[in-house]
This record gives sequence, C-alpha cells and structure tokens, in this order.
Amino acid sequence: MTETPATAPAARRLGAAHRVRRALPGFIMSAPAVIVFIAMFVIPMILAGVLSFTNWNGYSLRFTFIGWDNYLHAFRNPRSIQAAVFTGVIAIAGTILCNGVGLAIAALISGSGRANTLLRTVFFYPYVISGLIIGFLWSAMLAPQGAVNGILGAVGLGPLPFLTDPTFAKASIIFTIVWSHFGFNMILFLAGIKSVPAEYYEAATVDGAGRWEQFRSITFPLIAPVFTVNLVLTLVGLLKAYDVVLALTDGGPAGSTQTIVYQILKDSFARSALGLGAAQSVVLLIVTAAVGLAVTLVRRRAEQKVVDD
Amino acid sequence: MSTTTSLTPAVGAEGTRLRRRPARSGATGRTRAPLIARLARWVVLTVVTVAMVVPLYTMVINAFKPQKEIIENPLLITPQSFTPEFLWQAITSSKFNVIAAYGITLLFVVLVNVCCILLSAPVAYVIARGRSKWHMGLLLLFVSGLFIPGQVTLIPVVFVLRVLGLINTIPGFILFETAATLPVTIFLFSAYLRSVPRDIDEAAALDGAGRIRAFWSCIFPIMRPVVATIVVLNSIGVWNDFVSPQIILGPSSGIYTVTTGVYAAVGQFSTDYTQVFPTLLLAIAPAMVFFIIMQKHIIGGLVAGATKG
Repeated sequence: MTETPATAPAARRLGAAHRVRRALPGFIMSAPAVIVFIAMFVIPMILAGVLSFTNWNGYSLRFTFIGWDNYLHAFRNPRSIQAAVFTGVIAIAGTILCNGVGLAIAALISGSGRANTLLRTVFFYPYVISGLIIGFLWSAMLAPQGAVNGILGAVGLGPLPFLTDPTFAKASIIFTIVWSHFGFNMILFLAGIKSVPAEYYEAATVDGAGRWEQFRSITFPLIAPVFTVNLVLTLVGLLKAYDVVLALTDGGPAGSTQTIVYQILKDSFARSALGLGAAQSVVLLIVTAAVGLAVTLVRRRAEQKVVDD
Repeated sequence: MSTTTSLTPAVGAEGTRLRRRPARSGATGRTRAPLIARLARWVVLTVVTVAMVVPLYTMVINAFKPQKEIIENPLLITPQSFTPEFLWQAITSSKFNVIAAYGITLLFVVLVNVCCILLSAPVAYVIARGRSKWHMGLLLLFVSGLFIPGQVTLIPVVFVLRVLGLINTIPGFILFETAATLPVTIFLFSAYLRSVPRDIDEAAALDGAGRIRAFWSCIFPIMRPVVATIVVLNSIGVWNDFVSPQIILGPSSGIYTVTTGVYAAVGQFSTDYTQVFPTLLLAIAPAMVFFIIMQKHIIGGLVAGATKG
C-alpha cells in the first residue's frame, strides 16, 4: 500500500514546501469553522469581560470604562438579588422534580409494548415546542378565567391566583418548567435503564429479589452516569430559565418572578445598560461553570463508590 | 405463578453484587406485581397523562370556539359552538403573518443546517484523522463552547455584529446560530469519524482525488446517520429559538420567526382567547407534525448527544 504511484514521487521531495503542501488541505478544511467560532464565541467571551467594566449602551460603539461599578450594582441591587434567589429556587426545585418525576416515570414505562411507547410520546412531546409557546399556553390555562380555574369552579373551588399572587406565580413557573422538561430527563433515564443487561435482572429474579429491590440494587447503580448527565444538564439549563418566565408571568407580579437571564436581557436591551448586562452575564457564566463542575466532580465520586461497592 | 420459569445459568449473577439465594416461591421476581402496585402505577400514569394531554386538547378545541364559549366551557366543544372562523382570522391576520413566519423560520432552519454541516464536517474530519496536539487543541477549543450559555455571549455578539455591520440582518443571525451549533456538531461528527476506517481515505487517495475532494465524495456520504441526527437536533433548536432572533434580528428589521411573531402578536391580546388559541395552534402544529414523523430520530439524537457529551 505504501508504494502507490500517488505517494512515491511525493516522498522524494521531503522539504518545508512539501510539508506546507501536505498540511494545506487540513488548513483549508478547518479555517472556516475556526474563523466563525472565534468571531462568534471566543471574541465575544473576551468582550463580555471587557464590556462588563464599561457603560456601553448598545447603540453606539463608544463607551467609557467605569471600573467595578457594574458588578457592585449587580450585587447590591435588591432586584438582582431577588432574581438570583428565584433562579436558584427554580434550578434546585426544578432539577429535583424533573429528575424525580422523570426517573419514576421511566421506571414505570421501561417495558416494551405499544402502551409504553405511546406513553413515552405523550410525556416527551413538549420538548419539541418552544419554551415561549409553552409559557403562553400555560398562561392561558392558568389565567383567572382560564381552563384550570374553570375545572376548579366546576368542582366548587374558588378561582386561585395562579399568576397574580407572587407565591402562586413562582409555583406556576416551576410547575410549567417541570411539565415541559421532565420528558427529556425521562428519555435519558429510559436509555440508561434499557442499556442494563437483561441477565442481571434474570439472575436477581432467580435470587428472589422483588421489583423494587431489583431497581434499587441493579438499575439505580448502573444508571449512575445517566443520572449525572441529567443533573448537570437540568441544573445548567434551568439557571438560564427565561422563555417560559417571559411568556407565563413576564417577571410579575411586581417583579417577583424575574430570573437572572430576564434581568440581563431587561437591563441590556430595555434599559440600554449592556455593560451592566455583560457584568451579570459574566457572573452567570462563572456560576454555571462552577455548578456544572461541582456536580460532575461530586457525582464522579458517587459513581466511583458504586463501582467500588 | 412461580419464579421457576426463569432458569438463567448462574453465570449471569457474577456481574452483580447480589448473592445467590435459593429461589423462593411466591409473588416475587418476574411474576406480576401485587395488585396494589399495579393499581398505583395505573393511577400515577393516568394522572400524568391527563396533565400532559389537557393543555394540548384545550388549545385545539378552543381554537375553534367563540370567546364566551371558551370561558364558560373550556373543556367541551359542541357542534353549535364549533367555528373555523377564528383560525381563519389568525391565518389571515395582518398583525402576524403566520405563513410568512413559517417560510422565514424554515429558511433559517435550512440555512443554519447547510452552513453548520459545510463548516463542521471538514474540520471534524481533520480532527478525527489528526494525531498531533494541534488537533487535540482544536477539538478542545470547539468543545469548550458546549459549556458557554448562549445568553452570556449574546450581548458581546451584538457588539461584534454591530462592528461587522451585520446586526438586524439575516446573515448576522445565520452566522450566530451556525456558530451556536458548531460545538455539538463537531463533537459528534469527529466521534463518528473516528469509527470510520482509514482504508477509505487511502482508497480515495489511490484514485488520485485531492484530500478535500476525497472527503466530500468518499467520506461525507458515510456520515449520513450522524448528519441526520445533527439536522434533527439543529432544526428543533433553530425553530424554537426565541432570544437570538428577538435580539439579533430585532423588531426594527421587520423579520419575524414563528416565536418572535407569536411574542409580538400574543403579547398584545393575551385575554382575547379567540386570537390566543388559534395563534398558538398555528405555532405548535408544524413542530408537532415534525415530532410525530421524526420521533425515533429525535430521541436517538438526544441520547447520542447527551451521553457522548
């Protein structure tokens, strides 16, 4: 294979020019993607850091450096703190509920058969719908005169302020997020459960292990990596919650359901303070990276423990 | 019923940490779960199914009813109250041209997919075939993009696009959306290409084809399954994206995708359900059709993307 007519004459001229010519196709094939990626990812990342120290308004290309003011403002402003707290609540409660419900449902419908396949479809379909549309749909469902209050009225319960009371509104947002997201977690759990070799269960059956026992001591430890992926993806995803919030409550009532990204986009584009928005973006990026890394490390230790046992 | 039907050899048990116990006769293992457990499973699945289906059902039937009927009887539709009038009004609405929005969003989906594959496939090939530290660095560069939330780069991207003069333009939007798809795409493509034997490269070289031509004519056709996965995932992502088109295209451009169009339209008349429900139905319908046709690919792509990433 080595002495082919195409490579034999080329092998004679092994110089710098030849090496360049050999590397050239690789350059040509890589360059466009690298240029686009640097222009739209790397430079913006650096710029985010730079702009966070400026008062850039987004329209002109002029700005002045104002030191740490944006960061101080972001950390002292009660609005930002409230948004950060609520985002944390969404991320933690949402992650627990999405994964809890997702795992439970996956365990219940992991068998083959047409009914299980149909249920999988029913639980998963919101994944293909935009968060914005889901938010609008549930805002119509939960409105004072919406369908949910209609059903409650029919069974003699008064209308509930799902979107107009701060506590109810927060719960409504978390519910809507879980409603639309647990199917995604379920799909990953199902893939994990199905990858467990059937012999394990057969062996356990011979040993007389019940279904719950089988789930606890075979399925659960073996899907530990899927569990990690699910936790990280859900946590990191929910820290960016925005579309559903915008459509469902628009941050209200009285700003009680604003999230970090809601704040960032409001400050940046409605209030034309892109420097402040950039500062909050940098904080969000650091928090997201830290959370993702921390969960991965903690879970890796847990997975290792399972293997050691 | 007894457990003795399953006579797995003891070999299977070696992989588990369950100790072999004498098989007990009774209602354990592969036999059917106790009545209470089956009942509980049925109740849980029914409740969740109802919660998943009711919003979709409500949206569909209420798209064909007058306002008074929607509020009084949100869950019922009678032949007397049925009317296609409001759906037709939504289709022909002057505020939100849904047909144009379908066309534009579809155009964006196609353009982003084409650009993404044209850019990603060659660089993924270079990465998959390369052995030097440069190739490793190239992969790391792109993969780092997986951990950067799009919302964080959005503000500085506005800056970059303003400098390039591409803000509020379709090329600017396509550029950003394409860049956002690069990390996952390059990661999955290069993982796939590593499993493609090098013999094919050599066969192509024998034919005297240049490296770039050899890639597109001999290697790229083999990548069909992974390209299909990426197209499915990208299409859902671009179709549902709201924040990027809202900010990069902006209302001043007059270009509306399905999501930004719905936001502009539904925001104005959120209590007029005769406009809300038909508009939402029109926005969701294409995504649901796509979901029903492509469900297997969507789930397969998700699992591949999440577990390899």
